Amino acid sequence: MPDAALYLTILIALPFVGSVIAAFFPTNARNAEAWLAGTVSLTNLVITIMFLPSVRNAKVVRAEYEWLPDYGLNFIARLDGFAWCFSILIFGIGFLVVLYARYYMSPADPAPRFFSFLLAFMGAMTGVVLAGNLIQLVFFWELTSLFSFLLIAYWHHNQNARDGARVALTVTAAGGLCLLGGMLIIGHIVGSYDLDVVLASGDRIVSHALYLPTLLLVAMGALTKSAQFPFQFWLPRAMAAPTPVSAYLHSATMVKAGVFLLARLWPVMSNHEYWFWIFASVGVLTLLIGAFMALFQQDLKGLLAYSTISHLGLITLLLGLGSPLAMVAAVFHIINHATFKASLFMAAGIIDHEAGTRDVRRLGGLFRAMPITATLAMVAAASMAGVPLLNGFISKEMFFTETIESHGNSVLDNNLPYLATLAGMFSVAYSVRLIDQVFFGPAATDLPRKPHDPVIWMLVPIGLLVLICLLIGILPGPTVGGFLATAVQGVLGPQLPSYSLAVWHGFTPALIMSFVALIGGVVTYFTLKTYLSGNIEGAPVLRRLKGKRIFERAIVILSWRWARRIADIVGTTRLQPQLRLLLLIAMLAALWPLSAGALASGALALDVDWPFAVDPSFVLLWIVGCGCALGAAYQAKYHRLAAVIIMGGAGLATCITFAWLSAPDLALTQLLVEIVTTVLLLLGLRWLPQRLEDTGVRISFGARLRRLRDLGIAIVGGAGLAAIAYAVMTRPQINSISSTFLERAYSEGGGRNVVNVILVDFRGFDTLGEITVLGIVAITVFALLRRFRPARVSVEAPRQKRFQNQFDADRYDAPKAGIAAHYMIVPGLIMRLLFPVVAMMAVFLFMRGHDAPGGGFVAGLTFAIAFILQYMAGGARWVEARLRVLPVRWIGVGLLVAAATGLAALVFDRPFLTSAFQYADLPVLGRVPLASALVFDFGVFSLVLGATVLVLIALAHQSIRIYRAMAAAKAAETDAIEEAR
Amino acid sequence: MNNLAALPAWAALITAFLVLLGAGLALIGNIGLIRFASFYERVHAPTLGATLGMLSILAASIVCFSALQTRPVVHEILIGVFVTVTTPVTLMLLVQATLYRDRLEEKDPLEKRAAGDTAA
Repeated sequence: MPDAALYLTILIALPFVGSVIAAFFPTNARNAEAWLAGTVSLTNLVITIMFLPSVRNAKVVRAEYEWLPDYGLNFIARLDGFAWCFSILIFGIGFLVVLYARYYMSPADPAPRFFSFLLAFMGAMTGVVLAGNLIQLVFFWELTSLFSFLLIAYWHHNQNARDGARVALTVTAAGGLCLLGGMLIIGHIVGSYDLDVVLASGDRIVSHALYLPTLLLVAMGALTKSAQFPFQFWLPRAMAAPTPVSAYLHSATMVKAGVFLLARLWPVMSNHEYWFWIFASVGVLTLLIGAFMALFQQDLKGLLAYSTISHLGLITLLLGLGSPLAMVAAVFHIINHATFKASLFMAAGIIDHEAGTRDVRRLGGLFRAMPITATLAMVAAASMAGVPLLNGFISKEMFFTETIESHGNSVLDNNLPYLATLAGMFSVAYSVRLIDQVFFGPAATDLPRKPHDPVIWMLVPIGLLVLICLLIGILPGPTVGGFLATAVQGVLGPQLPSYSLAVWHGFTPALIMSFVALIGGVVTYFTLKTYLSGNIEGAPVLRRLKGKRIFERAIVILSWRWARRIADIVGTTRLQPQLRLLLLIAMLAALWPLSAGALASGALALDVDWPFAVDPSFVLLWIVGCGCALGAAYQAKYHRLAAVIIMGGAGLATCITFAWLSAPDLALTQLLVEIVTTVLLLLGLRWLPQRLEDTGVRISFGARLRRLRDLGIAIVGGAGLAAIAYAVMTRPQINSISSTFLERAYSEGGGRNVVNVILVDFRGFDTLGEITVLGIVAITVFALLRRFRPARVSVEAPRQKRFQNQFDADRYDAPKAGIAAHYMIVPGLIMRLLFPVVAMMAVFLFMRGHDAPGGGFVAGLTFAIAFILQYMAGGARWVEARLRVLPVRWIGVGLLVAAATGLAALVFDRPFLTSAFQYADLPVLGRVPLASALVFDFGVFSLVLGATVLVLIALAHQSIRIYRAMAAAKAAETDAIEEAR
Repeated sequence: MNNLAALPAWAALITAFLVLLGAGLALIGNIGLIRFASFYERVHAPTLGATLGMLSILAASIVCFSALQTRPVVHEILIGVFVTVTTPVTLMLLVQATLYRDRLEEKDPLEKRAAGDTAA
């Protein structure tokens, strides 16, 4: 086949592409959706069939794409006979299910979601079977779990659907996680994740010391997916899904992924007694429990679900036996089970649709009402029971033969034939029950609807599948022989064990077992018939074994109780302990290198010789600065206003220090930051409730102790930080990068202001990140303050303001609007007139930034101060009536401009944020440097301005919104008083 | 950095005189701040430094840098304008605040008080 790689890729990609397209169809486009999904599955089916010559006789088709070649991980699509057989199931049954779903889904159901998920699942499942790489297999494996979750919860208004989906996802995805672990160990043992390399590794995995953990992890993955004991409970709960989903995912394909995986790894992992013990015992347990439970189900789909579990157990058991012949039987039964179970599910869906109920006890005599459906379902059920001349009979016969064979002579092995016959009996019994109670007996009278056969297109998929059951059952050799051989060769290699596909093998022990099971099953059913029709829920004895209940308890304990307890112990919602923890951890981290002996070696000793002669006025400045800092800390609790003002003093001391040490850029920035933060803090103080210094409550000893502890933490932390700073600054700098910056600022960045060149050029990417953070912070502050509700005590105007208002009201006949009108006339006028001046100053600082102290950040802050002045002079309403204040837009423009400048460099084939510069002669301004960094700096300017103003208006608007809050508070108070009466 | 040694003697003399004059005026204003009794009186004292004192120092700056750079340097005029425009605003707001405070405490603004209990 030419272009095999391309077609293999199409097999995986096409369903996903279809899924995306399907998602965009109108809600009620059932026909279009079905056409799309049908075309996708049919196309893939045809492609798969065309691959048949390429995969015969154990040949393999591969398509490899580089993914992470450094890690030995490539995306590999790999098709062998076994994967081919599964692909036929996926696309063939997928097509029939799509056809069926077109008529099953009601017009009220949103069709795009259903078909989109279904196609995506089809792609994921194809990815699993075509995976040529173990990691890739796990990836698609988890995808199938995810889409199964989404499909089970399709009717998400239904509580059962949601719960079932959650349980299914938790169980199968947890299994997938284990599987990933197992695959990683296999990759470690073999040295490659490539499936072909793994399959060619012979006995290396089995003989490796890590075989048992690997096996357990892989088993966890396979057993959860295939709903094996003790994980079987998720499958019946998944029956809340729409029936096409149950037919497709939960009988024909997804649940087979577990056994698919076991078969896949069978050649390299099964040659060990652990394999036999785990899978044979789990398989036989599941087979028995599933069949037994199925007999006692009252829900038609529940019955089929338990039957599916039982049949999957049968396949697991066959795979666990570890003989090639059992492998043949397993593959054969996978095919057969998919055909008869999918058709039975579809029939169950029709019955549910037509009769309005799935309760087996309420149904009855449907053969007269819907003869075609009944006939088809009965044939499929007979196949499930293993009646001769149907496909189920042949694979069951092979199964019985295999159980008789000896596989190690253990207790389990010796008793297998009896257990298998017992399970066969139950299987027959529930099949007979299904046929008898649903289709025969007295016609049900109290059905919600009057049942009749559905439209022909709903019956066609079932009919086709039943036809296959019959054909395989009557003429197994010609119909399925080649197919089966191809599939088995994919696993076992070209040498097939000798087996014969025939209906009649003579009077073998297996035939006797079959007949014992058939007769025993019929007898069992008719013995229990009255009991079953009674008011029972679930099987006797095993009813108490509620996997679901245990699972839910475990989930509640794990994800709720323990999680909460841990959160209670190690977490807190209070700010103070969080900060304390943060500080303590930081201090411990700083102490860590000291404890390693570095302190003793003298490497960290502080150089106490003053490195420079100290100017007395500088010392005085620092005494004032430190005094301010201490005063601010001292006043912070009860006199916040004083604390904020004194903080400004400390800031000014820092500012002068910068200027003193010849850092005009820093001094300028510090000054502006100080102004802006002080104003914003003052605005915020208004909304904090007042703290009373003397509340009359005696401070307890514990509280005093806590305060002392916090004081200690503060002193140690601050002193430590000071020591670190001192130690760093008094040490000679080794390989400092600063000299490079100084040398290159002008030659490469085109600016004489090194600080600015570093910000906008050398470290432009850092700056971009920083302004992004700044923008996010500003928007977050704004969002938080929009929802801010001040404390009750802060809602009312403060005492001072009320006093002033009272005074104004007494003094003036017609009170004008607020303080601004009376007391701010002259200052307000001057502030307003200063707006263009300050703005000009900002432009000046911005333009000269590349060569002299200034730049976008400083200019942005200056411009923001111009706005702050306007707000102070006129109030928020006055300013916003006259100026267009759009800080969010400014932030956006700033970020876009900065990023676009960086990207522009890419156009010229330079790295991101490379800057270009040259001088230009402009009118009026003269010769100015024009670096592309200037545009970037404009972005910084705009963002800083926007962020500052946004925070400003967030605070300023509180006093506008507060009137609403006051009204609400008053209303609440009135209500409370009313209630009190 | 400009080399102060390059400053001609005449310019150095004028600069020194003007700087000292400005500093002296500011000092006098600050002494007044301590000596005056009430807040309303005190408001006036520092203006000596903010007006005449500032003007002297700015003039010194103009002389000094014009001589050094051998071209007229008059940036200082801007400083003068802005300080002159903005200082009254500060003072007006301070006085308004004090008036408010006196009303709150029901004191007569014109009443003489001992220094110390009117600190803002």
